[in-house]
Amino acid sequence: MNTSAGGKDLIGEDLGKGRKMAYGRWRFLMLSIAFLLILLNPFLNYFWHVHFIQGWYQSFGFGSLWFVSPLEGLESLLLTKSLYLPSLIGMAIPVLIALFLGRVFCSWICPVSFLLELFDRVRRLIGRKKFLKNRLLVAKRVLWFTLLAEIILSMILGVPLFVFLSPPGLIGREIMVVVFFRTLALEGGILLLIVLLDLLTRRFFCRTFCPLGGLLAFLGRKRSLRVHVDQANCTQCGLCAKSCPMGLLPNSGEGASAYCWNCGECLDSCRHDALHFQWQQNGYTVSVTDQRS
Amino acid sequence: MQRRTFLKLLGTGLTGLSFLPGPAGAKLLQSPVATNRLRPPGAVPEEIFAARCIRCGRCVEVCPYRSIIMLDIRAGIHAGTPLVEVEKIPCYLCMKCVEVCPTGSLERIQQQDTRMGLAVINRFHCVAWLGTILCRTCYDKCPYAEKAIRLDQLRPVIDASACTGCGICTSACPVAAGDDRKAINIEPLYARQKVSG
Repeated sequence: MNTSAGGKDLIGEDLGKGRKMAYGRWRFLMLSIAFLLILLNPFLNYFWHVHFIQGWYQSFGFGSLWFVSPLEGLESLLLTKSLYLPSLIGMAIPVLIALFLGRVFCSWICPVSFLLELFDRVRRLIGRKKFLKNRLLVAKRVLWFTLLAEIILSMILGVPLFVFLSPPGLIGREIMVVVFFRTLALEGGILLLIVLLDLLTRRFFCRTFCPLGGLLAFLGRKRSLRVHVDQANCTQCGLCAKSCPMGLLPNSGEGASAYCWNCGECLDSCRHDALHFQWQQNGYTVSVTDQRS
Repeated sequence: MQRRTFLKLLGTGLTGLSFLPGPAGAKLLQSPVATNRLRPPGAVPEEIFAARCIRCGRCVEVCPYRSIIMLDIRAGIHAGTPLVEVEKIPCYLCMKCVEVCPTGSLERIQQQDTRMGLAVINRFHCVAWLGTILCRTCYDKCPYAEKAIRLDQLRPVIDASACTGCGICTSACPVAAGDDRKAINIEPLYARQKVSG
């Protein structure tokens, strides 16, 4: 107990550098909590029959407050051509979050993101590297193609495709299957593939091949929360571009593009205080840091 | 290869995958619903079930008897959908699953309105009908005894107007007729209905 507490304090001092807690650490904490939630949840359901928290990030029940993943809900809606109110209400909060904050589900909650983040941290620790390389780059626009292909293919087949193979949902399902039926479902191999692809390029799957990410990015095109570059402070050192898990160039304003998922890695990496989160309301920019109400 | 050619090939390949000849193609599209393989209570007809269900697995997670299983990738396009294998663990009609379904694939219905299927007695296998043993296990186990299963001259008879298709009779039936069948089986009649409108 004593040693671990001491160790934690040391790390805190080492990374803090007199600044507030970095976004990266907040994000990792958030990802861990989100992952822990779906990890513990089947155990609670199975062994203690506590059904207060239910499901995983395909449909998440928190008491009587339900969330439905927007892509899954949209496909179900498109394919059956019928509206179902609980499903629509369940989609409302995720859609609103995506509209205002952008793809934050991907970077702050998604369990795949947690696994890849963990993998990244382990790789950095083993390789003693500060930044990981991207070896294979795919055009960022492919994301929209993925989203379209997914929807069109689902409509051709008449069944939602991604719902079953969606990696964010797959993790929850695998954990549930292990706890409930004591087996592993075959499709878990997809997760392994995604983690292996991360060796090639950081967030290779998330960047271009996640239809859910595509939909959230599409919803977040006109989002309010964006990464803003202060050109006066920016020295074009390129640290932010190296640290960006999505392979964007925040220093040339790509933090405001649809592909940015507002993780805040670039803000942490910047040594010249040139990058900030900004809240834009009707074209009028309000900086998050000066907190005006 | 040109990009256009590649995309064309990719599209054709993916679409054609489901029309593969032989068992591979058929299995990818075939519904898993069959005798003694039923959807949970309140399920919409099989015609639209796969389109409506988002495979969130909440019904599987909430089921206290582990009656509902989740199909894996071998079920093709129906992978991830819930299924009740009644001869193993039947549905005890606790109606918890219908309350958690977020897409309305399982409609919120009352216990007595559940129509997962219809119990059908095979008179060539049922020992009561054959007259070898005085067995009335299905009658004793039926949650709607005297309504769904009556005894007619000590032989069980099903009433379709009250049978919920829960499969408790099937799992209790002592006669194994091979191939996951018993002397009383549940036929998913209502799952084969067409959607009106």
